[in-house]
Amino acid sequence: MPITTTRRRLLAGSAAALALPAFARAQSAVKPRLTAISQWSAGSDGAAITALGKKFEEKGGTWQHSPVPGFTTEMMNKLRAQIIAGDPPACSQLKGPEIAAWSKIAPTLDLDAVVAAAGYEKVVAPDLAKLHKPGGKWIALPLQIYSTNMLFLSKRAMDKAKADKIPVTWAEFNDLADKMKSGGVAFPVANGGTRPDDGQKFEAALAGISPAVYRAAIMNLDEKALKAPEIKAAFVQVRKIADWMDPNVGAQHFSTNLKRFVDGDMGMMIMGGWAQGVLRNAGFKFDDFMIAPGPSDNSKPVFLLNADAFIFWQRKEPDLQAGQTLMAQLVMDPAIQTMYSQITGSIPVRTDVDLSGEGWSDGQRRTAAALKEAIASNQAVLSLAHNMAQENGMTAAMIDVITEYVKNKTIKPEQAATRLAEAVESSR
Amino acid sequence: MTIAVSTRPGRPAAFDWVRRLPEYLTIWVPLLLSAAHLIAFTLWTIWISFTPSTLVPVSGWVGLRNYSAVAASRNWQIALDNLLLFGSAFVLLSLVTGLVLAILLDQRIRGENVLRSIFLYPLAVSFVVTGTVWSWLLNPGLGIQKLVHDLGWTSFRFDWLIDRDMAIWTIVIAAIWQSSGFAMALFLAGLRSVDADLIKAAQIDGAGPVRMYRRVILPTLWPITITVIVIQLQFAISTFDLVRALTNGGPGIATQLPALVVYDLMFQRSLLGRGAAAAVLMLLILLAVLLPYAAWRYVQRRRAIHA
Repeated sequence: MPITTTRRRLLAGSAAALALPAFARAQSAVKPRLTAISQWSAGSDGAAITALGKKFEEKGGTWQHSPVPGFTTEMMNKLRAQIIAGDPPACSQLKGPEIAAWSKIAPTLDLDAVVAAAGYEKVVAPDLAKLHKPGGKWIALPLQIYSTNMLFLSKRAMDKAKADKIPVTWAEFNDLADKMKSGGVAFPVANGGTRPDDGQKFEAALAGISPAVYRAAIMNLDEKALKAPEIKAAFVQVRKIADWMDPNVGAQHFSTNLKRFVDGDMGMMIMGGWAQGVLRNAGFKFDDFMIAPGPSDNSKPVFLLNADAFIFWQRKEPDLQAGQTLMAQLVMDPAIQTMYSQITGSIPVRTDVDLSGEGWSDGQRRTAAALKEAIASNQAVLSLAHNMAQENGMTAAMIDVITEYVKNKTIKPEQAATRLAEAVESSR
Repeated sequence: MTIAVSTRPGRPAAFDWVRRLPEYLTIWVPLLLSAAHLIAFTLWTIWISFTPSTLVPVSGWVGLRNYSAVAASRNWQIALDNLLLFGSAFVLLSLVTGLVLAILLDQRIRGENVLRSIFLYPLAVSFVVTGTVWSWLLNPGLGIQKLVHDLGWTSFRFDWLIDRDMAIWTIVIAAIWQSSGFAMALFLAGLRSVDADLIKAAQIDGAGPVRMYRRVILPTLWPITITVIVIQLQFAISTFDLVRALTNGGPGIATQLPALVVYDLMFQRSLLGRGAAAAVLMLLILLAVLLPYAAWRYVQRRRAIHA
């Protein structure tokens, strides 16, 4: 076996040497090839990236996707190993500030020309665009968007509370939760017990109370903002939410309790837009629940951005380079973004995609409308719980404080606010 | 290995090593490889712990900064407190459970083989499976508490899994379930090797069963007890998969353990330098257990030779 490989390599090598002059001439006609790694292997995520691969092949390319199932961090371990070995994939999944961090350890591809050709910059939310061009140049492309603070309402729980108005502010949210509780809904807030779940409760609370303080404190780590009274107010709201949750969830995933949510045993869920896909996959109908933007005290929608993206690594092989250009064009293509989001339940990155047609749900339309409005009123901010606002180390330090506060009801809101500021200080 | 083949008379000694070559190869090559592997990576980790490495290993020197950052973090302090509690409770309780099981099995009962297999069986289950199963059993909404409620005793409470002060004990329970069979096996072997004459002599002197165990049999078991303690302690210090599956360090960060902190720093937070520092600290804790044990073994052997 090893002998065959060497012989084959030798043959290929000499063939390549002979063909070199011809190769140089035929470079524009080279067959595009793309090596990619991501964590998307199963469910709607796996289906979506497989569909993207099909499109890539339809355009004449060779699609070589190696999924690394599990957490994002496991995909990162493979990426790290490949980079250290000097053999990065042509493109890989990566998102948020990690794009900037990782771009420092290996050369990335300058995508400015291909982005300009597509006129893409005009149709992307400005905060999002910034994340993908850390040194002023586009090196990564966002693929799809979720909001992490969508409000899911159980129809049956609403019936029990004799309510039909969707709460807009936190005060209305709290009113409705009280009504649900007295109407016989055992747990007005449905939830899981994972770290991102707890983080989402806090970011939804703070951004809903004041998007400006959220931007200053969480995204810019401004010292004064971290001591603002809004932070304490957010922790007070989180405690209310925690008191309405089922304490028995332990470290369960939020999806474990979806049936109880639909049955009206739990009332409201603050979750990312992906929950729609999970609910639909579990066989529940659109009549079973409603989706609206998360509570916002100034009544204008606040959008906590979470966006998946691809980063492109520099490669010398002409076929990989051709593949990277093709991939970039595909990812920016409105038709491809439509196809992708319709499979996963997200919304397209492009703000100019029309969602009125078939294949889109009301929830997706409402999410897209919320994003447009939020961008207009400067209330589109980056999610902390889903690693969009800070690098992993800082995020983890902040989530430590939040998750402990959610689980430990003896910690006072002002104590939590102080600890949050301290955690930021010690991780700088 | 040196007594395996001796030089036969009448043969030139120079060819001896050729005959013994396979022997040398099978012993020394794997030994050197694994030793080099172990030592090289340990040294490498120590080196990384003094560098400013984050996403990827880089060279540079930051002195003890990584160590002070780890030692000052809440996660590490909670992990150390938990290790102390978990380590002592787990070792002590698994020792007692194992010993009681062994003594009961030692009564020449029928079906001993079946029972022994049952008690040893948890050891064959991976820690991830143990952790997952116990996370269901201990979940108040699904497991034991719900069962008792459904049976009619509705005021019964057993919600340690979600109680941040008691959650560490759920790990103790699961770990004891997993490994007291191991302690039992070692103790049983010890009990069976007690000199029969000694027991007979005690019987003739009129010792009852309780006295017999307390005064005659158990004192002979103490070398085994120390072995069990050391093995269980090093398991306790490096516990990772069990906690990860059972509580994942929660509720909140209440059940952090050092190995979880190392993994979290290295792979979740991408802080290789700090993760390496935490790993070196773990190694030091392990050495604090293993070095006295090695010294004790050495003294024992010296005494045995001189006796």
